[in-house]
Amino acid sequence: MSTQPVVLLNGDATSPSDVLGHKGHGIDVMRRNGLPVPPAFCITADVGARYRAEPEATIDAIWTDVLDGLRTLESATSRTFGRGQHPLLVSVRSGAAVSMPGMMDTLLDLGFSDAVEDALTLERTAEFASDTRRRFSSWYQRIVAAPPPDDPYLQLRAAIEAVFASWDSPRAVAYRTHHGLDDRGGTAAVVQAMVFGNINADSGAGVVFSRNPMTGANAEFGEWLPGGQGDDVVSGTLDVEPIAALRSRLPGVYSELIDAARSLERLAGDVQEIEFTIEDGTLWLLQTRAAKRSAQAAVRLALQLHDDGLIDEAETLRRVTPAHVKALLQPSLQPETRLIAALLAKGLPAGPGIASGRAYSEVDAAIAAADRGEDVILVRNHTSPDDIHGMLVARGIVTETGGATSHAAVVSRELGCPAVVGCGSGVTEALTGNLVTVDGNAGEVREGTLPLSAWSEDNTPELRELAEIARRVSPLRAHAGGDYPRLDRHSEAAVRTALASGQCDVVSASPLLAMLEAIRLSEVS
Amino acid sequence: MTDLAVLQGVRLKGRVSRADLATTLGEDPGEVVDDLTRSGLLADGPTLRLTPEGRGRLDELLTAERSNVDLAAISAAYNDFRAVNTEFKALVTDWQVRHGQPNTHDDSEYDAAVLARLDGVHQRITPIVAAAAAQLPRLGRYSTKLQTALDNVHTGDTIWLSRPLIDSYHTVWFELHEELIIAAGLTRETEDG
Repeated sequence: MSTQPVVLLNGDATSPSDVLGHKGHGIDVMRRNGLPVPPAFCITADVGARYRAEPEATIDAIWTDVLDGLRTLESATSRTFGRGQHPLLVSVRSGAAVSMPGMMDTLLDLGFSDAVEDALTLERTAEFASDTRRRFSSWYQRIVAAPPPDDPYLQLRAAIEAVFASWDSPRAVAYRTHHGLDDRGGTAAVVQAMVFGNINADSGAGVVFSRNPMTGANAEFGEWLPGGQGDDVVSGTLDVEPIAALRSRLPGVYSELIDAARSLERLAGDVQEIEFTIEDGTLWLLQTRAAKRSAQAAVRLALQLHDDGLIDEAETLRRVTPAHVKALLQPSLQPETRLIAALLAKGLPAGPGIASGRAYSEVDAAIAAADRGEDVILVRNHTSPDDIHGMLVARGIVTETGGATSHAAVVSRELGCPAVVGCGSGVTEALTGNLVTVDGNAGEVREGTLPLSAWSEDNTPELRELAEIARRVSPLRAHAGGDYPRLDRHSEAAVRTALASGQCDVVSASPLLAMLEAIRLSEVS
Repeated sequence: MTDLAVLQGVRLKGRVSRADLATTLGEDPGEVVDDLTRSGLLADGPTLRLTPEGRGRLDELLTAERSNVDLAAISAAYNDFRAVNTEFKALVTDWQVRHGQPNTHDDSEYDAAVLARLDGVHQRITPIVAAAAAQLPRLGRYSTKLQTALDNVHTGDTIWLSRPLIDSYHTVWFELHEELIIAAGLTRETEDG
């Protein structure tokens, strides 16, 4: 465990990501490989954990180190924090060992006073200075729950404390419970020199994936917002452009970004999701992490990375879980189908499953339509107990208001009915009368009646290829046919028994699932 | 049995058979239902439903009922309800969902821990219903219905926690929620779903 409370992320930080947090670790990796990353330092997760027990004393004890860190950012940027003709603004970001997207707090554009705003007005424009200060003040109020003091050092201290405290925010606690993550420890805090996407038309912010994490296609995927800051992209409230739009607007920056994405992918041996900002035509990378992906993409990307020589056969099989394969064998909305249908509404996934039908907003009309044999989607502002008969005849349920524990959510799950809740006002009117598909897994409503399909171990080329690899790696070779003993189930117990009795070749209805189980068992033991 | 109790009983169920209506009201409302049907306030059929006139009449009766209550007392009861409501809804969700997947109910320890929380919820809701019933005696019936659902859950019949269409704990709870919103002179549109 590192005893150093503050670590410079200059490419030489040797600590692992449970000390630096995944964000700090990613920044250090990018710096080490010569990629353009704004200078940053990290207050370790150990400090974050200590803060939870003794807030005041912990911050007091590290404050000199924080100021030293700030001095290195000043000299690296030739700017000065809280004063001078070229003021330095910083971001303060949370970053736990395991990424918890959007669950903890982050503060951008920190370091403002009246004098700083004046200096930025002279250096850039009055519009930029006031827009950036407005962003800062509203972030600060939201995170610290008080108006920002005029002293940038007090702002910095309060922001660091808010980031540490956000480890215990209800949504972060719920996220860890939900994903079975450890509640002990704390978050690291990364302090980084700001770069600005809100300067001019040759600026902006976005996120890029080194390959498509939905379909698994070997093509860059992502979006960006010209003239925006990172939080604008994540919030989803503004109209972002596909990443291809960046290629036509700033071809040089685009190719530098794609080269960086490919290079980070090679370094990590995995598909990356990268946050970036373009400041007046210059590219800056802010964060990189392994991309979250669909089951389809998990299989396709593992095979591609193997073909590209980035991972070996054993690792290829580790990248695909039995849960991925089981999901693929169920009829589902394939990502290729989903992405070409217009997105009509987005909310919280409250009841799993996919359903298509015509949208009705009145219970009586819904019941009458169902009696005529129509597939009905019930769309309401919210549901009440007396809507139950409409919910009973519906294939899918959509609401404008309410969360994951709302009446609509609870009843949909009881009925086994796909549901998306909390889609926002106006959705009822927009959907009523149309044929729509409710995706209760993704939390989306899309246009039209979309077909479901499933992969199969026999007929889907990707799964056959994976099974070929598995037969070379697995201690138990499972075949679709042949003169071998029969493995009736692919459960852990059945596979364990087969291995213990010394069997090497078996016949199974799900050879791939049986082998993934066998490989997992042999790696655990 | 009053017209108000019957009309509100039908309204909360949307559509309801005579037998189920008798169950939820705790006694057979036969003659009242016949009268309300004859006067066009209820539509009869395989199930009973409110007619538009019935809904109008119900609103009048609820307004009249509300005019006799101490609004501060009923609002206080509703506020207390909202605090327990969050806890109860989280409990039901934990019963249905685990690690983001439907709860398969194969971990009896987990299920028992979730169900154990229902006793705490019930202890907190009982005085709230009593306080509301001191203003609107009709609401006292919810205490009995919650107790019945709880007893069924205790005997291991866990469908009585959240199954729709029967007077499960969640069904009764949500009808009580509706009653308190109306009694406090509020609407669902302004309240959290």
